[in-house]
Parts: sequence; C-alpha cells; structure tokens
Amino acid sequence: MKISRRITGALALTAAAAVVLAGCTSRNDTGSTGESGAPEGGDEQVTVAFVPKLQGIPYFEAMNTGGQQAAEELGFEWLYQGPTTADAAAQADIVRSFIQQGVDVLFVAPNDPNSMAPLLQEAQDAGIHVATTDTDAPDSVRELFVSQASVQGIGEQLTDSLMEAMGGAGKYAIVSCGETAANLNAWIEVQEAYTASDYPNAEIVDIVYAGEDQAAATQMALDLMNSNPDLTGLIGECTSSAPGVAEAVASADRIGEVFTVGLGTPQAMLPYLESGASSASILWDVEGLGWLTGWAGVQLANDGDLGDTASITNEALTDVSYDEATSELLLGPPTVFTADNAGDYDY
Amino acid sequence: MSVDTAPERAPEPAAAPQVSLRRILPPVVTGQEIVLLVVVVVLWVLLGIFTPAFLTTGSIGPLLVQVAPIALVGVGMTFVIITAGIDVSVAAMIMVSAVVTARMMVGLDIPAPLAVLVAIAIGLALGMINGLLIAYGRVHPIIITFGTANVFQWLGLRVFDSSTVNGIPGTLDFLGRGDPGRTLGVPHSFAIAVVAVAVAWWFLRYAKAGRSLYAIGGNQNAARLAGIKVQPRLVWVYAVTGALAGLAACMMIATGTSTLDQSVGSGKELQVIAAVVIGGTSIIGGRGSVVGTLLGAILVQTVVSGVTQLGWPTQLGFLFVGIFIVIAVGTDLIRERARRRA
Repeated sequence: MKISRRITGALALTAAAAVVLAGCTSRNDTGSTGESGAPEGGDEQVTVAFVPKLQGIPYFEAMNTGGQQAAEELGFEWLYQGPTTADAAAQADIVRSFIQQGVDVLFVAPNDPNSMAPLLQEAQDAGIHVATTDTDAPDSVRELFVSQASVQGIGEQLTDSLMEAMGGAGKYAIVSCGETAANLNAWIEVQEAYTASDYPNAEIVDIVYAGEDQAAATQMALDLMNSNPDLTGLIGECTSSAPGVAEAVASADRIGEVFTVGLGTPQAMLPYLESGASSASILWDVEGLGWLTGWAGVQLANDGDLGDTASITNEALTDVSYDEATSELLLGPPTVFTADNAGDYDY
Repeated sequence: MSVDTAPERAPEPAAAPQVSLRRILPPVVTGQEIVLLVVVVVLWVLLGIFTPAFLTTGSIGPLLVQVAPIALVGVGMTFVIITAGIDVSVAAMIMVSAVVTARMMVGLDIPAPLAVLVAIAIGLALGMINGLLIAYGRVHPIIITFGTANVFQWLGLRVFDSSTVNGIPGTLDFLGRGDPGRTLGVPHSFAIAVVAVAVAWWFLRYAKAGRSLYAIGGNQNAARLAGIKVQPRLVWVYAVTGALAGLAACMMIATGTSTLDQSVGSGKELQVIAAVVIGGTSIIGGRGSVVGTLLGAILVQTVVSGVTQLGWPTQLGFLFVGIFIVIAVGTDLIRERARRRA
C-alpha cells in the first residue's frame, strides 16, 4: 500500500521533528532565568535543577515560582522540568537529561524513591550534588532533604484541625491518594497514633486510596459517608483529594454534619472554606519551599554551611532549621489556611 | 470468517426486505446482557443487605452520575469497537474539551447551552481528525489514536499553560451531583446517557447505517464489495465518539470542583474500554451492544463503590474489574470458536 507507507513516513518524520523541537524548547525555557551576575565568583553561574513529581499542577508551579525568585535574588541559574503525569519512568528520563547537561546541583521530588535511588547515585558519580525536596528518598545517596514540614507536625496539625471541627470526638475516614506514596503514608501513621493517644473518643474507620483522581476521591468520600452513617469527619490527604472530599460533602448537602480538612492548595480550597464544606486546609508556604530549595542548592554547590540559616534573606522564612544528623533542612511548622487567609495566596 | 455463518455480522444491507431483515436480527436482548443484568441486580441486593445505605438515593444517585460519562463515551466506543477499531484518545479529547470549555466559562461567562455546544464541537472536530486519519490513512486505529492522544494531550496542556483553571462558575450544575442535577431523584447526566444508549440501540439494530457497522467490523473488504461506503462510515463513527467525549467533558466539569487541573479525564479511555468489553462487545469487531456497555459501566462502578462501602481495601476493586474483563473476553472468544465450528 503506497499511501500507507507514505503516511507512515510522514508520521515518523513528524514524530522525529517533534522530539527535536521539544528538546530545543526545554533548553530555551530553562536557560532564561538568572541574568544577573554571579556573586560566587568564577566565570560560570551555579546551576540548580529541580525535577518535580509532576509539572503543571499549582503546587509545583508555586515551588517553581519560589525557586525562580531565589535565583534572581541570589544569582544562580534555576532549571525546572518535570513529567506531565506522575510517572516514575518519565521522571527518570528528565533526571538523566539533567545529568547529561552536567548541572551543579540536582533536586528531585521522587515519584518512586526506590527506583530513583540508583539514578541519584549515577548523578553523584558524575560529580553532581544530589538532594531531595518535598519528598525524600531515604535510602539514597542524597546529601540533603529539604522538608516542607516535619511528618509529626503535619500529621498532628491535620488531626488537631479536624478534631477542632468535630468537637474532639467521632468517627472519621481518610481519603488518601497513591497507595505507595511514602510521605502520605508517613503522615497517616502519625495521624493514627496521635488520634489514638490524644483523642480517645475519636476513631479512624477507614483509609481509602483514590489515586491522583479528584472525581474518584469525591465518589469514595460519598461511599464512605453512605457506609458509615455516623461518620462526621473526612481527611483529604493530598492536593487532589482535599477538594475532592469537600465537594462530596457539599454535593451531599451534609455541610455542618460532616467536617473535612485536607492538604489542599489555597486557591482550590477557597470556595469550600467559604461554604464550610472544608474547615481548614493544612499546607505550608509552597513558594517559600521553592525559595529554600534554591538557597540550599547554592549552599551545596559552594560547600557552604547549611546550618547558617541566618543567611536566609527571605523574610517569610523565619523558622527554618537544619538537622545535621538526618541532613534535613526544615521549612518550619505547617500553615493552616482558612476562609480568612486562603485568598491571600495566588496558587 | 464466512458471512453466512454469522448472520448478525453482515446482513444484506443493499436490498434486504423488511421481513427477512427481522428474521436475521439477533434476539432483542442477548445472553450476555441478561447475565450482566443479573450480576448487577445480585450485587445491588447483596450490597443493600451488607452495607447500611447502598440502596438509597444518596448512594445510587452519585453512583449513576459517576457512570454517566463512561456510558456516554462507551456508546461511541461500542460503535468504534464494532467496526473492529479502537479509540484510545477519548481521555485526551475529554481533557481538551474540558479545559477549553472551562476557560471560556471563567473568562467569558458563557451560558450553559453554549458551553455544551463548544465542548461537543471541540470533541467532534478532534474525533473527525481521528476518523479521517483512520479511514483514509489505512493505519491501524490503535496506532492513529495513540498518536493523536498524545497530540491532543499536548494541545490540552498548552491551554492549561502550567496552571489550573480556577473559579469555574456553576453554569453546568444541571449536569452535576447536587440538587440542581436531579429531577425526581434521577440525575440528568445519567438520563442523558440512557437516552443516548436507547437511540444507539435503535440505530444499531434497525437503521441501515447502523447495521453496516457490523458488516465493516466483520469483514471490511466484504462490506466494501457489498456496497457499503466504508470510509465515510468510519469517519462518522470516530467523530460521534469525539462529540460524546465533549459532552462527557461537560459532565466532568459539572461534577468536579471549581478548579480544573490537567488530570481531568486521565485514565477514562481504559474505564470506557473496560465497560464496553465487559458489556459483551467483541474486541475483534463485528459484534456488540450498547445496552451491554451501559450495564458494564454500572457493574464497574458498583464494584468500585461496593468495595469502599464494604470497607474492603481499595486495591480489591482493580482485582474484581480485572477478573470481569478476563471473563468477558474469555466467554466471547469461546463463543466465537463455537460459532466457527458450527
């Protein structure tokens, strides 16, 4: 078939062109930051690359904004590229390309910490400073983990905020996302222990996993409310399930009977915080986390002192602490967003 | 595969008189549909007994709302699979339709009818691209739609422009989960899906153009020789699937939060294909029913919701849906073999 061969050829050409073009644009995009001079001296700027779990969602875009801001203020080059789905393999390809480019510092928020570990080793062998941010890869060669908030802090704040709404007692359920997401599971562990120890009249009746699918989270929350008629609380454990569970309560007309809290970005949660479908959203200063990641990158590249948190010039970051034993740089306590302050954030 | 051993595959489309047409039509409901219906009813009764509130409007209502977009796109997908094709780009078409419509709802505050029209028009246009490439490119549909899925994905991400669409107004709430989305307890979105299924059922059974889809799926060359205009039919089939994906996108906007992110539609292609296959439509083409697809979609969501309501681990939902797919495909292949031997 002549036609089909010609079309296949055309398709192949188009595909090849697309790959080449995609390669070009990503280089152009990323090369656009730090124009200002490098105070660190030397003829080349420090390049700090960050690979998020997923590009294009408000959370990581806000981190990117913070990182870019730090790049302008501190004078380094900030590179940002992530996969369009939360896919470990696609993320690995991007990490490899940064290793190829020979960046100075590589930050990753791994989708799968275990499969990322050997790649981080590879990067270190290539002379790159490797670190994690947002999500840790504990069994890897990473030199540093920039932590948004302590596991304890988040788990307890989620529980406290929900209990405040529920009156310190009652049955609640958790709608989590990825079943293997290490940070979510660590928070859930704290919530279970903390609820058992500090709120003896409260009980977690079920933990379900909706993936990163908001509609599935809503449906599961509705199913949970139906199967547990005396359920009075729901926790959305990630930024897609937090508005998802709030939507479930709103659509079932149960506002004021079932209370929700979750880890949601302020803009997505604002309508639910205002209607009362969500009592509070627990998160942290995401742009601040991006800024701190950039700062830590410069310190790593120059073999600077990470404990020197006094040198942080960002006024919003006042509670940063460094734990040398675990090599963790902690942003501070989590932020509680309510109807009053959620509108102040543009992510 | 000879034509006369499988009567429902290739009826004489050209000159069959009404009487003989009726004689060669398959029964109004087929075995697989009855089995599915029984399975769904049994599951609903069991869940009604073993959970506190499965059989209440507060539980069945949202379940049917969740089923509606899957069943609706499933109608198009059933057409496609009957013609021995497949469309793996429906999720991407939903995403493009949803993001463009949502952006217009936020930016221009367009009224509901216009929003629905825009979404359907976008889906139709994208589906038309699929259809033209498949009908005239003569490359296997899975390759074409896999390719276009990625292109559509890129298009959608460009429109998203690395952010979410915030502050979506409640214009489409009549398709949603809440009170405005129901009349006498029946969700509008589900009613739309049922109407689509009914029209498609009539079309596949009694309209000449509908019967010709079976012929195309049974043997494309034979269909062409029998005088069926294969290419225009194929273009039409993929275009309809796209249009239905556009309408489904409206339902997704309505059931979502006021924020739309790039995950919208993701994974829907597999859910839709699962519903079609469980519904008894043969993946090799030439046989299938939209009623089965509707029941398949209800069955899948029943299993997923049931697992949650029983308090079982979420993963079991995947196991059960997987088993259903394997059983459905298995029985289809066994029947196919029996038919060939006969």
